[in-house]
Amino acid sequence: MTGLLNVSASPHVRDKKTTTSIMGDVIIALLPATIVGIYNFKLDALIIILLCIATCVLTEGLFQKIAKRKYTMTDLSAVVTGLLLALNLPSTVPFYIPILGSVFAILVVKQLFGGIGQNFMNPALAARCFLVISFTGKMTDFTYDAVSGPTPLALLKSGESVDLMDMFLGTTAGTIGETSALALLLGGVYLLVRGIISYRIPFFYIATVAVYAAIYSATSLGGFSLEYVAGHLLGGGLMIGAIFMATDYVTSPATPKGQIVFGIFLGLLTATFRIFGGSAEGVSYAIILGNLLVPMIEKFTMPKPFGPSKKDKAKKETKEKNEIMPNTVKLFLITLVSGALLGLVYAVTKDPIAEQNEKKQQEAYMSVFETADSFEELEGFDSEEAGKILEDGGFNGSDISGIVIALDSNKEALGYVVTVVSHEGYGGDIEFSVGISANGTVNGIEFLSIEETAGLGMNATKDEFKSQFTGKQVTAFVSTKSGAKAENEIDALTGATITTDAVTGSVNAAIYYCDYLEGGAGNE
Amino acid sequence: MSKRTFQGGIHPYEGKELTEDKEIRPLLPKSDLVYPLSQHIGAPATPVVKKGDSVLVGQLIAQAGGFVSANIHSSVSGTVKCIEPRMTSNGVKVNSIVIENDGEYREVDAAPVLDDHKLTKEVIRQKVKDAGIVGMGGAGFPTHVKLTPQNDDEIDYVIVNCAECEPYITSDYRRMIEEPEKLVEGLKIVLKLFPNAQGILAVENNKPKAVKVLKELVESEERIVVQSLKTKYPQGAERQLIYVTTGRKIDSSMLPAHVGCVVNNVDTIVNIYRAIREGKPLTERVVTVTGDAVKEPGNFLVKLGTNCEELIEAAGGFVCEPEKVIAGGPMMGKAMSDIHVPSTKGLSALLSFKVDEVAKCEPSNCIRCGRCITVCPGRVVPSVLAKLAEQGNEEAFLANNGMECCECGCCSYVCPAKRPLTQVIAGTRKQILANKKK
Repeated sequence: MTGLLNVSASPHVRDKKTTTSIMGDVIIALLPATIVGIYNFKLDALIIILLCIATCVLTEGLFQKIAKRKYTMTDLSAVVTGLLLALNLPSTVPFYIPILGSVFAILVVKQLFGGIGQNFMNPALAARCFLVISFTGKMTDFTYDAVSGPTPLALLKSGESVDLMDMFLGTTAGTIGETSALALLLGGVYLLVRGIISYRIPFFYIATVAVYAAIYSATSLGGFSLEYVAGHLLGGGLMIGAIFMATDYVTSPATPKGQIVFGIFLGLLTATFRIFGGSAEGVSYAIILGNLLVPMIEKFTMPKPFGPSKKDKAKKETKEKNEIMPNTVKLFLITLVSGALLGLVYAVTKDPIAEQNEKKQQEAYMSVFETADSFEELEGFDSEEAGKILEDGGFNGSDISGIVIALDSNKEALGYVVTVVSHEGYGGDIEFSVGISANGTVNGIEFLSIEETAGLGMNATKDEFKSQFTGKQVTAFVSTKSGAKAENEIDALTGATITTDAVTGSVNAAIYYCDYLEGGAGNE
Repeated sequence: MSKRTFQGGIHPYEGKELTEDKEIRPLLPKSDLVYPLSQHIGAPATPVVKKGDSVLVGQLIAQAGGFVSANIHSSVSGTVKCIEPRMTSNGVKVNSIVIENDGEYREVDAAPVLDDHKLTKEVIRQKVKDAGIVGMGGAGFPTHVKLTPQNDDEIDYVIVNCAECEPYITSDYRRMIEEPEKLVEGLKIVLKLFPNAQGILAVENNKPKAVKVLKELVESEERIVVQSLKTKYPQGAERQLIYVTTGRKIDSSMLPAHVGCVVNNVDTIVNIYRAIREGKPLTERVVTVTGDAVKEPGNFLVKLGTNCEELIEAAGGFVCEPEKVIAGGPMMGKAMSDIHVPSTKGLSALLSFKVDEVAKCEPSNCIRCGRCITVCPGRVVPSVLAKLAEQGNEEAFLANNGMECCECGCCSYVCPAKRPLTQVIAGTRKQILANKKK
């Protein structure tokens, strides 16, 4: 024995897990999704992934060299950030986007706040949000099989059906890594088994979205729809977000109870953003907002130290506490209750709103058919069929959403009130009713919903514009900018030709459709 | 089997297979014996011998320096060589009595063994005190103090800590296997002090043999049960053990007696048996000498005061030069700078590692993974406490329940960033306790 032995404070053994091994496990867990991404989106995906990882690692190294800090490139955290960012990008983005995003993620979000463990936002997600805001068009251009198309979530939002199997397997449009729920779940299972993440954040996040979507579909979409709920769970970035982004150690609560609160909070935000927001997706923003609340959530969810509660201590005798309701159950109930409340508000306001709409509709009918006494639904009317008829007649930009027969006091038919929707408005769909006599004379038009530019397109709702149609019996109106001379000419609104054409076109569609019903020109 | 388990805890590599089948072998010292006057919690003992005195085995050589203190007896016969400061395993020099061993082991007359009906509470306590018995799990708290609560009738449980949750150590296990009668008899003596108490032998379920042996032995004992506990470190921590066996909880400001419990270690109980039934003071203990750096790991019955180097020799010496030698287990034991120190009452193991894995750990930034929070049996937040400790913010440290830390080491063990959490927190706790005393 020579010299002195090593001395250090206990404990003298350490667990094998290191920051690097944990990051390595996250990378392994992301492999299935990465492979599916490369399989789906081919070389583009591979290049974007490599670009992101390389830029992230290089940015980290360069910053640390310039700032004279310790190099941390080998802890693999920059690789994880790069890979996650790449998986959150569409495969069609030009190559400067992944580079820009990576630099933003590492430099601005991570290193400027002190490097690993110090950032308060998930670097990859913050970079994604930065890119979506800066390059909205490029960041929301999704393809699958080289064909551009909407994501399943966008389809779901517009009320269309989605292929759940495609979403589960990942054979659908979306960002490189988000499409395959199966691949992401595989990764999640790996992380759980390896003890890298706890079930708390992903489970409560996904469950909250499911409950929210279920309640929404049951109360607002005419009955509970499993397809709708499943679509929300499998679609968009929920899986990759819940399993990989929301569980990022640095930016999620470290306290077990806090993780449950965090998961529920993200679920509520995500579902609200998706269902009521302007965009079909909401995961990124939900997590970024959630990140900001982490210190507060942790503050209120600190564990109680081991020992008797103050009350027990006062009694000097500790009895086993009978926890009637575990906290997890409590929190889950809170979610349920808040979801139910939301549904309740909707249910309570549903009828008055419907009544209000009905009244508005009746008023519109009266204003476009003043001679009528009452109105009656046209039996056997089918909006889709009407659409086809219009299409056949060359009216592509309009649809007929409803039609009633105008009756006089003797219940004799005087004509129709057709409610048309123009898809060619400047600010979206324009819906209005047109009163048309049996002989084809237009009795008047009245708008039900219109969102054109104030001061320009909105002038369509003024009487001087609407009255141009009144009392005229023509087969088709045309708009003109040089002053209406002929019977069928309509003065275009100043600076709103598109609105004018949209309205005129839909009036013509209504005339055509009435004529069709009366067995007129269209049938000749 | 107890269904209850405490929150937190870890499952480190146990390493018990190295020595669990090795019988306890008596080890006779060759060189001088050294008895530090402070090898227990409380006041140092006062020497009652002087240089040149000849002593016998079991002779009192230093008397308790107060109520919270303990007697010290010679474990060999020979001559007092000197009384001088000597290095101990804690890395500090402590005034010690040095005795030259004559190798004859002449014993003092054993104290008379009393009939059962003469064994009053007072007599039992006095004999335990005379024998110099202290908590032999490592803390070294004088046992007669523990056995003297305010009201004997309020003690509901006497718990024997047979958990031995520290990895590598098997000294208690071998005692349980080889001398279970002494353990049970010792417990019965302690139960005489507390008329309303039940005796609990709390064994971890990674020692099925011990569970079986003890269960058979206490089958006919009405007041003693064996509880098999779900294996987890730190099962043997007093607060956790009380909770797991009785469902009662105490915090850092309370003593086990506050919730009607008395907790003692296996070797402590065995030595109570020896003191009462054999009339012998505490002069030896079982030490596990193990680790990958020793040739033949084993369990030894060691005369207190024996130089640790002789323990290593008894285990076949080192395979190669070790990087680290620990007095105790890997989780809470103390690393020694030098093995030329005496074995003391609290030394349950001597653990030698070829490689000091902790020295290779480079601490990096906390990644907020929350592992330390999950494993902390004290339910505090080590990452936050360590940060406050590093900042020297004692006020916030206290507000965050820093004193509830029991320094078990779980947080440092799991930390993937290899931050020395336990060390930093323990340092601040020591500072705060020291300031309180001023």
